Order: sequence, then structure tokens, then C-alpha cells
Amino acid sequence: MSINYDQLLDLATELGFRLMETGAEIYRVEESVQYILRAYGVETGEVFAIPNCLIVSLTDTAGHASTRVRRIPAHGTDISLLESYNEFCRNIVQSPPPLEEALKRMEAISARHFVYPFPVMLLAYFVGGGAYSLFFGGDWTDGICGGLCGVAIGLCLRLLGPLGANSFVRTMAAGAVAALCALVLVGMGLGHNPDFITIGALMILVPGIAFTNAMRDIMAGDLTSGVNKVVEALLIATAIALGTGFVLSLAPAV
Amino acid sequence: MELFTFSYFLPCLYAFVGCVAFAVSFNIHGREIPISALGGAVGWLVYLLSAPWFPGEVVRYFLASLALTAYCEGMARVRKCPATSYLLISIFPLVPGAGIYYTMEYAVHGETALFLQQGMETLSLAGALALGILLVTSIMRMWTLFCRRTRRTSAQRR
Repeated sequence: MSINYDQLLDLATELGFRLMETGAEIYRVEESVQYILRAYGVETGEVFAIPNCLIVSLTDTAGHASTRVRRIPAHGTDISLLESYNEFCRNIVQSPPPLEEALKRMEAISARHFVYPFPVMLLAYFVGGGAYSLFFGGDWTDGICGGLCGVAIGLCLRLLGPLGANSFVRTMAAGAVAALCALVLVGMGLGHNPDFITIGALMILVPGIAFTNAMRDIMAGDLTSGVNKVVEALLIATAIALGTGFVLSLAPAV
Repeated sequence: MELFTFSYFLPCLYAFVGCVAFAVSFNIHGREIPISALGGAVGWLVYLLSAPWFPGEVVRYFLASLALTAYCEGMARVRKCPATSYLLISIFPLVPGAGIYYTMEYAVHGETALFLQQGMETLSLAGALALGILLVTSIMRMWTLFCRRTRRTSAQRR
């Protein structure tokens, strides 16, 4: 069977790109692309991934080398999509179908993908923010206020998203809104501890997982990715601190 | 022991509820939600239980991360899913998100000493978590490879 190497490169790169967009780890992306190339008989494939770039290269039987570079935009985490692509990759490696069919199957995954509707997301933010306000030591009124602040963060992110706001600005605004909500709710006598309320709600924004994953990358030897993610996590945290700091510094003046 | 009261363990419940919510925001579906959220409660339970024997925060975080990674790897094998999907949610209560935030808050306020102290603490906690995860996942990987290899050699002998 002679295969179209351009198409194979397309398939492998597209899969890597999509995995990366679901928030998959670097090693998973690199391994998946490598497995796909090998499944179609290419032993000379190379792949290099860092959080915002993916490079896949292969040499065909005629000795002709081709490379594809994809830049990875800012993305969230979508675990159900990650699982689907992971399973897709495993199936392809076990019994490689013709390339057209593989591409078609990959399209089908994104077509039938289910995302929770926005109100459910807001509810999740409410419960999440509330639960972490309690977790950090607030009483039940703080829990409710933390939940409300969480909803405010969710709304703020949603409103600023379509406006094309830079993610730093967006995080800063969300942090400011959370702090403002906490202060207002405590001022109204609803909550008691603005600190617990704010930090509980901010758990939605805070880059704890990103930071821990960065440490994992560094320990696993993916130094560039790790350093990249550490800087990203620190930037996000700075944005939140700037947002809340701005509001809290205004508070005594009012 | 009078340390282990009901209210002492209440945060485990909050961690569970919080994890359920964040599982939804990470787009996890169906039965995986409670399974992954339970991991968060397990991690925090180990953290709380180890308090009398290990006074150091870092050691307790390390132990908790060992326990919850083992739980996630086990569940991943039972449910035939990548362990990552459970791990990302389960680690949530332990992850030093608040620590990073406070670190940068001190930086923004220009309190250098507190910034350094909090920063070091956050770094060591994240490091302990990452080390715990890495240890368990590599041991599991080696174990699967070992099993596969022994199976292959015994098949060849036959």
C-alpha cells in the first residue's frame, strides 16, 4: 500500500493540535503523534511540542522531508474531548484505516461533541466557589456569597470573551469583579469574612493546576514546556492580584 | 483521638462538592464526575489523617498526592480512561492555587519578604505534589511494561 505522506502528516498534526487544544499533557501529544506516524509505517517521524507550538516532521520513502508547524491558541481544558481523541488515537494505532476515513472519523468526534450549556456552567461556578469558600474556613453565609462571586466571575468571563479581550485583561477584570462582589455582599451584611469569600471564588481563576503541571513537566524533562507554563501561571496570578488589589485599595476610600 | 472530630473532616465533603463543580466546568460527563471528585476527597482525607505523624506541610502534601494518584491510576484501569482526566480534578483541593495568588498579591503590594516566603512555600508544595504524581505514574508504567514483558517471555517459552 502506498500512502499519501502529505495526508498522513496532515492527520498526525491535526490530531496533535486538537489534543493540545483539549489541554492534554505535552508527553501525551508527542506520543500520540509518534504512534500515528509509526502505525502508517513512518519510522523517521519527529515531533516536538511546547504549550503554544507543535512541530511534526517526517521523511518519505523517496527521502523527501516535510514539516508542518501549528501554533496553538489559548485554550481551556476539555476532558471529555481529550478522552475521545485519546481513544481515537488508540483505535487507529491498533488497526490503521485508510487516511480519508481516519480524517472523517476525527471530524465526527468534534461534530458530536457535547458541551454543558452556559446556565449549567454558572451553576457549577456557584457550587464550586461556594464549596471552596467553606473549604478555606468560611461559615455557610460565606459559602453562599462565595458562590455568588463565582457566578459573577463566570458572567464576567463570558461577557468579555466575545469582545476579544486579552486573557490577562480578562482575568484582571474577573478578579476585580470577584473582590467587588465580596466587598458589597459583606457590606450588605450577607457574608462575614471577605477573605474566605474572595479566595473561594477565585479558585475558578487561580492557576494551581497549571502550576502543578508545570512542575510535573519540569521533573519529566520537558524543560521548555515547564518553564513556559510556570511563567503563564505567574502571569495569571499577577493579573488576579492586580484586579483584586485595585478594588481592595479603593475600598477604604468609599 | 480528640483531634479527629466531625468538623475536622468536614473539608473533605467541601472538597468533594467543589470537585464535582469543577469537573463540570472541565466538561467531564456522567459517572466520571463523582469518581474523579472522590479522588479530591481522598487526597484531602490523607492530608488530614497524616497530621499527627507528620508535622511538615510538604510531607503531608506529598503523601496525599501519592494516595490520590494511586486512586486515579486504579480508577483509570477499572474504567479504561486516561488517568489524567481523574487526576486533574482530584488534585484540585491540594493544588496551591491560593498560594500562587497570595504570592503575587504580596509582589503587587511590594512586600518582598512575604513574597519570597510565600513563593518558596508554594513552590515546594507544587513540587511535592508533582513528585508524588510522577513517582506513582512511573511505577505504574514500569509495572505494566514488566507484566507485558514477562507475559511475552512465558508465551515464547511455551
